[in-house]
Amino acid sequence: MVELSEKLVKGEGRFVDDIQMPGMLYLGFARSQYARARILRISGAQLTHKEVNFDIAEVGEGATEGGSELLKHPVLAKDYAGYVGQPVAAVYSDDRYVAEDLIDSVDIEYEPMKAIVDPEDSISREEMYPGVKSNAIVDRYFGDDFTPDSTDIVIERKMVNRRIATNPIEPRGVVAAYDGNKLTVWVSTQSAHAIKEGLSEALKMEPDRIRVVQVDTGGAFGLKGGLFPEYVVACYLAMKEKRPVKWIETRREHLLASRPGRGAVAKLKLFAKKDGTITGLKGEVIVDNGAFTGGSGEFSPIFIVKQLAGAYHLPNAYVRALSVLTNKAPQGPYRGAGRPEAMYFIERLMDGLADKLKMDPVELRLRNAATETYTSPLGFQVEKSRPFLESAIRELNYEKYKGKENVGFALLILYHATFGGESARIKVEDGKVRVWTGGNAHGQRHDVFIKTLLNEELGVSEDHVEVMKGDTDMLAEGVGAWGSRSSMVLSSAVIVAARKIREQIEKKQGKYTVQALLAGKWDHYEYFNYDRMESSLGANLVTADVDDYGRVKVKDCLSYYDLGRVLDPDNARGQNAGGAVQGIGQVLSEELSFDEDGLPLITSISDAGVLSADLVPRFDIKFHKSESPLPSKAKGVGEAPTIGVPIALSRAIELATGKTILETPIKPEYLLPVEKE
Amino acid sequence: MVNKKHISITINGEVKEAEVEPRMLLAHFLRDQAGLTGTHIGCDTTNCGACTVIMDGKAVKSCTILAVQANGRKVLTIEGLSKGREKLHPVQQSFVDKHGLQCGYCTSGMILTSYWLLKNKKNVTEEEIREAISGNLCRCTGYDNIIDSVKDASKKMEEEGDPIEEQPEIKVRA
Ligand code: FES
Ligand code: FES
Repeated sequence: MVELSEKLVKGEGRFVDDIQMPGMLYLGFARSQYARARILRISGAQLTHKEVNFDIAEVGEGATEGGSELLKHPVLAKDYAGYVGQPVAAVYSDDRYVAEDLIDSVDIEYEPMKAIVDPEDSISREEMYPGVKSNAIVDRYFGDDFTPDSTDIVIERKMVNRRIATNPIEPRGVVAAYDGNKLTVWVSTQSAHAIKEGLSEALKMEPDRIRVVQVDTGGAFGLKGGLFPEYVVACYLAMKEKRPVKWIETRREHLLASRPGRGAVAKLKLFAKKDGTITGLKGEVIVDNGAFTGGSGEFSPIFIVKQLAGAYHLPNAYVRALSVLTNKAPQGPYRGAGRPEAMYFIERLMDGLADKLKMDPVELRLRNAATETYTSPLGFQVEKSRPFLESAIRELNYEKYKGKENVGFALLILYHATFGGESARIKVEDGKVRVWTGGNAHGQRHDVFIKTLLNEELGVSEDHVEVMKGDTDMLAEGVGAWGSRSSMVLSSAVIVAARKIREQIEKKQGKYTVQALLAGKWDHYEYFNYDRMESSLGANLVTADVDDYGRVKVKDCLSYYDLGRVLDPDNARGQNAGGAVQGIGQVLSEELSFDEDGLPLITSISDAGVLSADLVPRFDIKFHKSESPLPSKAKGVGEAPTIGVPIALSRAIELATGKTILETPIKPEYLLPVEKE
Repeated sequence: MVNKKHISITINGEVKEAEVEPRMLLAHFLRDQAGLTGTHIGCDTTNCGACTVIMDGKAVKSCTILAVQANGRKVLTIEGLSKGREKLHPVQQSFVDKHGLQCGYCTSGMILTSYWLLKNKKNVTEEEIREAISGNLCRCTGYDNIIDSVKDASKKMEEEGDPIEEQPEIKVRA
């Protein structure tokens, strides 16, 4: 476990921008200054769509197949720019400063058009592109229409989670090199295999001519699972010039033109009996897709709507899922990717219902928590949640806070992206056990639990094991590290691969010993297939105070999550705290905002609301351990805090201020106390 | 072509001379010319602190200083903390022991800011640590483990002292 940490604390990590190669070119992009414009003329550029005429392939987390050709993100803009920051033309030089100068010498003539900014306006506006039938690129209903009982109580709310930049501290980046036949790509990523698949599709190149290697990856949070226009241009240029090409994103580019997450509006009605038993849900969810496909904007609304039963028994539901075109960068997955939105919507409705009934919100949750596992009318299986909730109330000590503090409570269900399974390869040679996996860690320290598992399965000590970075030449296939899946399917692939190695040795030598393992040459590739989506339960409790200036102080932030078997408690704690800070950020400060012309108002990582250490409390996590059915017995870790914390914090602020909180982030002025006469 | 300027900077105890463009940032000089890629770049607005180094005893953001401004000065980078020694520097060791990192990208800056703090103050409190690292953003850890690392480093520094031979003269940030 120490190996990687020791390198990193000495500054010896190898991140993508650390790569130097002889003759390397630096790539830069001239980007659209308008949210929506016709491009009339481009001059002074070294590369434009005339030469680099490719579209982005949709790969990675939340990728959907097919889709309209019209909506595909061109690698370099053709005659139309759909958002501020869209790459229009490329320049390059062997000096990074000169490359930057060259960007300024590109002249682009535009004919600006009235931008479509507000997702709720989009449907009633003219079509964004000629040929597009509707600005709603997804419009589907889930569940069955129903007639609510006339005596039912109704809570109707509009709730908004505005756009957030993923903001890993290491921006995006890529280095590409070409030897005349094979393209090698070093990239900061969650999935080397997704990048390879995407490049092959975008560049129309045979997959076996592309090798993608993951380098140390400085955080990702959903962003780095996909393919980006800049990567395709870097590869194209490497092949054209037969020189290595590097592109490193600036933070400003990140804020403009990477794929931000959230960006969802819900207008929902929750129906309930007078005793608080919920009877149905109706309404719609609108996702702000941005100007092109390629992110997860087509997947998101469907995924959100299917989860809207929360952890409750919901007998009736009929909800419309919409994704609409806007003049913004394509929406993409951000830690939780649809899960935080769905739970926010249902949980804030539950709090509203509790207030209306003058019931304790936790009491209301107990009344509605699923007493049996069932399939919700919206599509997903809801696991039996009542026993978990009862233990969460105890473990989080809710009674201690109730009535004394401004306390918010969230019950959540985390759907793990276990479907699709994952791959692992174990290769033993020269006394070294090397492991490759399809999901590529970017701060989750897969190396730690892989070593633990190999020690259990093969008795091999951790100093003999080396956990390798993603490399498509060393591993036939792979999915990626996202959706709280790695502790479940990646670990299981490693376990099964280890068992197969053990079998190989037993077959050949009669019995398994560690000596036989290390003395021999063994190699096994395993694709662990899994076609189910697993889930786990979690709860959060947050207390907060708000001062006379509307400043929020988060006091206690407690988590209680079902992690099944906890593979690496230290890392689980670290991920919990990291996710909780992101959850607080979503409520208090994190937003990518735009003016009415679609011009971004955010220009720095601090404006974007990423919180520093002085603004957050200490975090506490307790583990609930009900084992999963997978070989690893673990459940997902990464996304629970970004789901639960915003809900519980919003409620705590609501109690502190007496103001209803239905949007994230909360505008600070909204929290200012009303002037008393 | 701009006129290049001659500079001489003592980096981690070694004098490095070079001809650089006046506009070159110290961060790029350290990374691209001195080959010290442990100094990271995470933003373009002096907000993230990934690029923090110690210059003449002060923790500074090397993305905001020109290489020519560092001329004649002493710079300590992450590589300098354990340079020439088998063992990690106590602050580095504490970050390993207390899981003060996940992806490791903010880590060099966090460690150098913490080192600067600990040279300034004994028995640091949690609040002082939070305040001191408030110019260093971490998107992974939620800061708890970083704070525990710094507390642990504070103890280690008390017990073991600072192994860096040429002690930079630490000054309080203005
Ligand atoms: S790179 Fe220097 S502060 Fe962000
Ligand atoms: S450890 Fe990833 S940014 Fe701090």
